[in-house]
Amino acid sequence: MIFGYRSKKLKAVIPTASMADIAFLLIIFFIYSTTFSVDRTTVFLPSSTVRKLVEKNAAIIAITKEGEMRLSDGIHESVPISSLKELNQRVQEIVMKNPFKEFIIKCDRFSPYENFDRIYQILVDNKVKNIAILTEQKIKK
Amino acid sequence: MSKTLFKIKKYREEAEIPTASMADIAFLLIVFFMLTTVFTANKGIEYGIPKKEKNATIKPEESIYIHIKKDGYYVDFKKFDSIDEISGYIESKMEKTNFKKPVVIRTDPDVNFQKTVTILDLLNQIGVKNISIPTEEEIREWKEYFQD
Repeated sequence: MIFGYRSKKLKAVIPTASMADIAFLLIIFFIYSTTFSVDRTTVFLPSSTVRKLVEKNAAIIAITKEGEMRLSDGIHESVPISSLKELNQRVQEIVMKNPFKEFIIKCDRFSPYENFDRIYQILVDNKVKNIAILTEQKIKK
Repeated sequence: MSKTLFKIKKYREEAEIPTASMADIAFLLIVFFMLTTVFTANKGIEYGIPKKEKNATIKPEESIYIHIKKDGYYVDFKKFDSIDEISGYIESKMEKTNFKKPVVIRTDPDVNFQKTVTILDLLNQIGVKNISIPTEEEIREWKEYFQD
């Protein structure tokens, strides 16, 4: 037969050679973008339209709706604080080490104002220069 | 027997690095990073605390007084129903003084913290430069100025 020749069948192959490259590219992205946060207290942050980037390595005081507090010096993981006296003592220690240390207040939006006021008073008493109130982006309707 | 009979042809295997499992390892690492990544909140409202000076002579100054109560916002002892109304009132007062007029924010202890942040945000949007948040202790100390 003249026309009936056997066609060569190519094997079906999925090219996987570049798969590892793509995967490693993604890994590098995640390694660079990952920051180990020192405080992971779950709070519903109050919302605001105007937001500024807060200072890195600032001390964090977290307050939940129930009034539970956690403090981090910005370098080490946050620890639970049992009383205002203990908080005052720890803030004093942080300010002694660095008088220009900024404090971030991470307060729950549903928390009564008195919880914030008590902490604010401690920061004022310890002559903290700057504070930042952590907020989330407010979406205009 | 001749020597040629014992000659066996050697099959040389090509040298290669096994890369089949490389993608698996890489994806495993991706999954790990994706699960452990936490997007941290790092933006907010900044506030500089004024220096506390003992025995300092403080001159009384005309200011805007915002009192946040559970039933609403009171600006200069008048109740305002909406944030837009407050914004209009403060802006009209501020324009005369180049936004330098001090604004005092007082919040009742039982009010949600969000309300204070809403006012702080509003003042930042307007461009108020002088904001004061007295603590409960300071309010008690200066009670003659906070009679409402």
